[in-house]
Amino acid sequence: MDKPSHLSVIVDLSPTQWAFCAQSTAPPGLPLQTFLSQLLAFLNAHIACKDENTLAVFGAFPGQSVMLYSSTGEAMTSTTEATDPNTYRPFKTLDSTVMSSIAERFNSYDVTEEEEPIGLVGCLTKALCYINRTISVVSASAQGTEGATRSIDPRILVLSVSPDQSSTYIPIMNSIFSAQKLKVTIDVCKVFGADNVFLQQAAHLTGGAYVQIERTDALLQYMMMSFLPPPAIRQLISVPTQDRVDFRAACFCHKRIVEIGFVCSVCLSIFCQPVPVCSTCRTKFPIKTLQRLNASRPLATTPSTPGTPRPLTQKNGAALPRPG
Amino acid sequence: MPPAGRRIGDDFVDDSDSDVSITGLDEEPSRSKAKGKGKAIDRKKKDQGKGKAKDQAYAWEATYTRSWDTVQEDEAGRLEGAVQDLIARGRRRRLLAPAAAIRRTIIRHLVLVLDLSSAMMDRDMRPTRFDLMLQYAREFVTEWFDQNPLGQIGIVGMRGGLGERIGEMSGNPQDVLKAILERHKLLPNGEPSLQNAVEMARSSMSHLPTHSSREIVVIFGSLTTCDPGNIHDTLDECVKDRIRISIVALAAEMKVCRELCDKTGGQFGVAMNEGHFKDLLFELIPPPAQRAVARTGGGPAADLMIMGFPMRLPDTSPPSLCVCHSQMKSEGFLCPRCLAKVCDVPTDCDICGLMIVSSPHLARSYHHLFPVKPYSAVMTLDDTPEPSKRCHGCAVAFKEMPSTMLGASGEGMSFYGRYRCSECHNDFCTDCDVFVHDVVHCCPGCGK
Repeated sequence: MDKPSHLSVIVDLSPTQWAFCAQSTAPPGLPLQTFLSQLLAFLNAHIACKDENTLAVFGAFPGQSVMLYSSTGEAMTSTTEATDPNTYRPFKTLDSTVMSSIAERFNSYDVTEEEEPIGLVGCLTKALCYINRTISVVSASAQGTEGATRSIDPRILVLSVSPDQSSTYIPIMNSIFSAQKLKVTIDVCKVFGADNVFLQQAAHLTGGAYVQIERTDALLQYMMMSFLPPPAIRQLISVPTQDRVDFRAACFCHKRIVEIGFVCSVCLSIFCQPVPVCSTCRTKFPIKTLQRLNASRPLATTPSTPGTPRPLTQKNGAALPRPG
Repeated sequence: MPPAGRRIGDDFVDDSDSDVSITGLDEEPSRSKAKGKGKAIDRKKKDQGKGKAKDQAYAWEATYTRSWDTVQEDEAGRLEGAVQDLIARGRRRRLLAPAAAIRRTIIRHLVLVLDLSSAMMDRDMRPTRFDLMLQYAREFVTEWFDQNPLGQIGIVGMRGGLGERIGEMSGNPQDVLKAILERHKLLPNGEPSLQNAVEMARSSMSHLPTHSSREIVVIFGSLTTCDPGNIHDTLDECVKDRIRISIVALAAEMKVCRELCDKTGGQFGVAMNEGHFKDLLFELIPPPAQRAVARTGGGPAADLMIMGFPMRLPDTSPPSLCVCHSQMKSEGFLCPRCLAKVCDVPTDCDICGLMIVSSPHLARSYHHLFPVKPYSAVMTLDDTPEPSKRCHGCAVAFKEMPSTMLGASGEGMSFYGRYRCSECHNDFCTDCDVFVHDVVHCCPGCGK
C-alpha cells in the first residue's frame, strides 16, 4: 500500500452504444449522464486514496482517441473558473476537465455521418506510451534515491460498451503483449453488451479482472470494490475473476471469430475455410491438403458467427457483495 | 547468397586470402593479428556492426575494462550528445531493415549445440567462456520462446569427443531451461566433436514435418574438432535434409565451420568480446525470412494446417478427468471439436487429433508479419500549417525551438524531436518512436 499507483482509464464513448444502453430495459439500462457521474466519483476516489496517485483518462470516440485528463497536466483545458471553497480543488479540476473535453468532442460530432468504429486501439496504445514515459521518468529520477526501482504500479481500466471489432484483433493482441512486457495490468469492466472476447483475453493475459456488470445501477459499487485496490492488494482480497476465457481468434479473410481455423504454416494466418492461396504471404497450398481438409470439413463444426452466446456457468462473484 | 563485399574497417583488410601477411608482419603486428578475425565477421551483418566494431576492442586486447571511455562529454560537459548517438544508431538500424520481408518460417525446430570441451575454460571472456555461454544460452532460450512460441528447442553438448543429448526437443521453455540449469552437470572436459554433435542433432530432427524449419545453432569455443568420419558427408546430409547450421565461434574462424554455415544457408560469426557474442547469438532469434525459392530446390513445403482454439475452464469449475493424464482437475482447456479436456496448450488433442493452440500463441508472431512502417524525422516545420503541440502518443510537449545539440552522427534525427507516421501524419516524440517500433508494434494514430 506504500507505493503510489498509476491508473489509466479508457472510457468507451460510442454514441450509438450509449443510446442502446440508455434505452435498454431487459437488463435495466444506464444513461450516459448517470454513468459519467459515477465514473467521476470513482476517479476522485482514486486520487483521494493517496496523494502521489496519478491518473490519466482517455476517451475512445468513433474513429478517434483523445486524452481527456492527466494528472501531470498534459490535457488541461484553460479553466478560469472561480474557486469553490466547498470542494477539494483537484476533484474540481478533474471533473470540469473531463466533462468539458467530452462535451467538446460530442458537440463537434456530426450526427448525419455513419459512425466509425471506436478508437479503442488508439486509446490502449496511447495509454501504454504514456505509462512507458512515466515509468522511464520515474526510474531515472529514482536512481539516486533509495533504490526504488519501480515506485509506480501502473494499470489500465477499460470501461467498454461496444462489441468486439474483429478488424482490431492484431493491434489489440500487440498491445496486450506490450502491456505484459511493461508489467501493466489491464482491468476490463463491461458496462453493457455481450462478452468482449479480445478484452477477456487482455484481462486474462495481464492478470487483471474482467467484470461484466449485472446491475447497472450499482456500477459505482462494482468499480469501488473491484478496481480501486491496486494489483498488489488484490491478492489479499479476492477480486472476481473470469469464469471462462475464450481463446477464439478472428480469421483474416472474413474477420469472423472462429473456433476451428485453418492456419498457414508459413505466416500463421488464420482462415475460416480452406483456401488455395494464403492471402497474407502468397503461399500456394498443395491440392492434396485442400481436398483432405474439404473432405473432413463436414465433421467439423461450422465456424460460429460472432456473438454466439456460449453456455455460461455461474459467475464467480464471491468477493462482490450483491448490490441491493 | 550473392557474394557480398567484405567489410573494410579501421583494422580490417579485405583483399588477402592467406592468413599470414608477409610484408605486414614486422611493421604492423596488430594489423595482421586482426586479419583472421576480420574476415570472420559475418558479411551479412556489415551494416549493423559498423559503428560498434570500431569502438570496441577484442577481448584479449583489453587489459582493463574502461567503460567510461565509450561515453564522451560534449563541450558543456553534458552527456546528451552521447545519448543522442545511441538513439540515432538504433533508428538507423531500423530504417535499414527490409520493409517487406514478409515470408518467415514461424514454426521452428532448433537444436542448440553447446561446446563443453576443455577449451571453454579459457578466461578471455569473463568469467570464463563456459559460464558466459551458459548465461547467454539461458537468456537466448527465454527470448527465443518469447518470439517463437510454437517452436521447439533441443540441447546437445560436445564433450569428450562425443555428442551428448542434454535436453530433449521440447516446446516448454521451463523444460529446456531446466536442462541447462545445473552447471556442475555440464562441466567441460576433453575434445569436442562437431560431426558427432551435428549427426545427433540431425537424427533428432529427422521425423519433423516438412513445413517446419530445422535449425542447428552451435556455440563453438575450440579450434579443433575430433571426428570419427568425414564431416563433409555430414554436411551433404544436412544440405539434403534442409537443415540450417549457424555457428557462433568464440576463438577464431575455421574453414569447416564457415563451410557448414555457407552451404546450409546459416549465419557464421566470431565473437570479438562479451557484448559481440551476445549480439551474434541474439541475431538468430527472430524467425528467418524464408527465401522464395530455396537453393536446394523447392524450399520447405507450405501447408495448410487445421487448428482448434480452445476455451479455458476456470479453477473453480467442477473437477473432471483430463484425457492426457487421467487426473481429476478443475482447470483445463476444452477441445473445440470433441470437447475433451486437456491440461495444457499447445498440444494435439488425444481424442480427435486436432492441433490445439491458444490464439495468443499465434498472435505473438504476427508483428513479424505486419511491422509498423518507420517514422520519418521532421526536419522543418515550414510545410506543416499547424504543427501539433504535443506528442500524439504520450502527450509530452514538443520543443518550440529546434535543438542545436545533436551528436556527431545526427543523421536521421529530427532537430525538433518529432517523428511523423507516413500513414496518419501524426507527430511522435523520440521515446514513443522507439517504444512503438520495438515494443508495441502498432501505431497509436492509425492503429496499424
